[in-house]
Amino acid sequence: MNQLAAIIQRELRHELRSRRSWLAILLYISSVVYIAYLAFQHDLEPVTWNALFWILTIFISMFAASGSFAGRESEMLYIYTITSPHKFIMARLIYNGMFMLVVSIVAIAIYSLLLGNPVGSGSIFFITVLLAVWGISSLLTMAFAIATKGGGGFALMAIISFPLLVPLLITAQHLSALSMMPDPTNYTGNMASLLAIDALIAALCYLLFPYLWRD
Amino acid sequence: MNFKNFINSRWWKVVCVIMLAYTLIMGFLAPVPAKPILHETIRNLYFHVCMWFSMMFIFTVSLVYSIKYLMNPTEENDIIASESANTGLVFGILGLVTGMLWLRYTWGETGHDWWAPDPKLNGALIALLSYFAYVVLRMSIDDEQKKARVAAVYNIFAYVMMIVFVMIYPRLNNVDSLHPGNGGNPGFNQYDLDNHMRMVFYPAVIGWVMLSAWIASLNIRLEKINRYNHNKI
Repeated sequence: MNQLAAIIQRELRHELRSRRSWLAILLYISSVVYIAYLAFQHDLEPVTWNALFWILTIFISMFAASGSFAGRESEMLYIYTITSPHKFIMARLIYNGMFMLVVSIVAIAIYSLLLGNPVGSGSIFFITVLLAVWGISSLLTMAFAIATKGGGGFALMAIISFPLLVPLLITAQHLSALSMMPDPTNYTGNMASLLAIDALIAALCYLLFPYLWRD
Repeated sequence: MNFKNFINSRWWKVVCVIMLAYTLIMGFLAPVPAKPILHETIRNLYFHVCMWFSMMFIFTVSLVYSIKYLMNPTEENDIIASESANTGLVFGILGLVTGMLWLRYTWGETGHDWWAPDPKLNGALIALLSYFAYVVLRMSIDDEQKKARVAAVYNIFAYVMMIVFVMIYPRLNNVDSLHPGNGGNPGFNQYDLDNHMRMVFYPAVIGWVMLSAWIASLNIRLEKINRYNHNKI
């Protein structure tokens, strides 16, 4: 447990120190959302708002992941000696999930500022985003670990993670569409399945990561 | 008789050829029930549907050998996993093409000539995209052992997410499939797949699945020879 906390703390400190990566992500979010704003010029139906929101979320999280999840290769040698793959991946999943949540909250803020916000039921929307973002970040963590081994970087990561993200995204999209209805019902089932997908992805990461751990 | 001898033996290939010859002849000539909308296109059941059975069968073989590779990393397990995935892709493409041709004549009114918003089509496309990504991933790693290990990890991930999609998608929004037998469409579910069609359909499934195993086994042998030659030089 202590080890877990120590790794998370170390990642956080590292992240806070590099101002460049924060600024890059912020700028990326702003420009992508601004392009969407220019293309749609404010007259967005809730359905379109929702679709656009999730498309932007994938691209933003992909970008954030590629910048931030990058295992600093030179330090890996040190990490090998102090911890086990299971502890490392758990710490990574927790840290990346929190990181991605912050990124998506910033993204939602900028997106709502420019394109409005038709969400009626804030709590459903927030829980959906929370669950979806956590799943996306775990899946991207794994995809990034795979892509790094492939030496393909961003492009490889995108093609291997897009098809795998689909079940998560359609469930989340469906739920957030529900949150825009005046009187949302029947959302518990979908929320449970979103949670189940998250748990499944986390379990797969936990089981499979040790095979990617070292060469 | 062990498994390897079984794969290399001849008799099941003879059975496969007989079954497929029977499928071709009876599939085109045997009487079929006249259903509205479907009419004679119902014969696609013997071909299109069997492609999906074969694809899922051969992808499952690939998954099993990927898991086996992670537990016991031998070159053999890796070759079987990768060549099965390649073979599965061929069957997946054939399944998609036969389906697209068919939907043009039966769902033409949906406004999409070659595509329709259907859970089964989306599931098929996701399967194909994931396994093409598997192929690209393999191509981008040079070191044989690293390639095998990373690809095995991805294969397990992809297969599980594909199954998740197939389970989740139809539940959302009650999206019902346009496929025959779903959503009140006339079809061949257990009540109206009549006995004449069953007599052709079951042999067809067995025949096509056997063919996929046969093609995969040839690919596996070819890949072994390639690697042998490569190592000799």
